[in-house]
Amino acid sequence: MNRVVIEKSILSENNRIAAELREALTASGALALNFISSPGSGKTMLLEKTLELLPAHTRLAVLTGDIQTDNDARRLLRYGHPVRQICTGGACHLDAAMVAKHLEGWLLKVVQLLLIENVGNLVCPTSYDLGEDAKIVILSVTEGDDKPLKYPGIFRKAELMILNKIDLLPHVPFQLELARENARRIHPEIEIIETSCTTGAGLGQWMRWLEARAAKKVAAASAAATRNHSQPGGWNAQLEVQCQRRTRQSRLHAASVD
Amino acid sequence: MHEMGIASSVLETVRKESRRGERASRVGVRIGEFVAVDPDSLRFCFEAIVKTSDLAPLSLEIEWCRAEGGRRGDELQIAYLEFEEVEVAT
Repeated sequence: MNRVVIEKSILSENNRIAAELREALTASGALALNFISSPGSGKTMLLEKTLELLPAHTRLAVLTGDIQTDNDARRLLRYGHPVRQICTGGACHLDAAMVAKHLEGWLLKVVQLLLIENVGNLVCPTSYDLGEDAKIVILSVTEGDDKPLKYPGIFRKAELMILNKIDLLPHVPFQLELARENARRIHPEIEIIETSCTTGAGLGQWMRWLEARAAKKVAAASAAATRNHSQPGGWNAQLEVQCQRRTRQSRLHAASVD
Repeated sequence: MHEMGIASSVLETVRKESRRGERASRVGVRIGEFVAVDPDSLRFCFEAIVKTSDLAPLSLEIEWCRAEGGRRGDELQIAYLEFEEVEVAT
C-alpha cells in the first residue's frame, strides 16, 4: 500500500473554469457579482430595482438560476438588458461550467457588469466559485436574525450582506441589530446595507456600493493592463474569446430567454 | 444535496490521479466547517455511487476541520490517496 499526498481541491475542475472566467473578467474590467440567499428573500426584486436604477447606458448582463421555470428571466427582461435563465433541472446551486455555458455566444464585449442570481439556497452555492468578484448574501427580515449563525459558510464568504424587506420590520420579531451582530461574529469585515425594494429605502446606498465596486474593478484592470504593457482589448474581449472557443453554435444576440 | 456533486468530483479526481498499475483503495478528504458540506451526507452519497463505479472497492475517510489552530475552516480538499499495486496485462 502506497499513500500519496494530493492536497488538491475537490472542486478543482469547477475552480479551473471559474479561474478562467475571473481572469477574463479581470482583464476587461467587468464586475461580476454572485447573489445568494434563501428562496423568497428578494433576490429577483433587488435585481429588478437595480436594473431600474442603473443608468440606461450601463452595459450589463444577467444570469438567473432556478431549478425550474424561466419566470425570473422574464421579469428581468423587462428592463431591456440581456438576460438568460439557467435552469439547473434539480441541482441546488450554480457551478462555473453552467455560467460559462450560458455566456456562450453572448456579445460580451459590451458587458461592464455581470449579475448572477444563484438558486435560492443558503448552503450549496457557498462551495461553488463562479468566477465572481464578490458573493453578496441577502437576508430578509421575514427570516431569522440568527441565520448568520445557522449558515456561517455563506456569511463568511460574502463581501456584503443586504438586509432586505426592512419595511416589514414593524410586523416581524426580527432584530436588526442582532442580525448585524451575528453576521459580524461570523465575518467581522462583512459590509451591511439595509434595503426595502418596496419603499426604496437603502437602495441609494446599494447603488453607491455597486458603483464604487465597479470603479474599483476598472481601476484594477487598468493597473493590470499597465503592468502587462497591454490594453484590456475592450470590454470583456478575452472572455468573449474564451466563451466563443467553447461555443458550438454561436448565437449573436442573447436578449432573450433561451 | 450538493454532496452528490462533491462525491462525483472526488471520484473524478481519484480517476485523474490513478496511474496504470495502481488501484486506489482509500481516499482521504478534508472538509472545513464553513464549506457547507455535511460529512454524513457526503459519506452516504459517496457509498451510493462508488459501489457501481469502476473504482469499487474504494473507501472514504473524512477529516472534519474546525477553524482553529491555523485552519480556516474552508477546506474542501482531497488530502491523500492510498494505492495498491495491481497486475497489468501486457
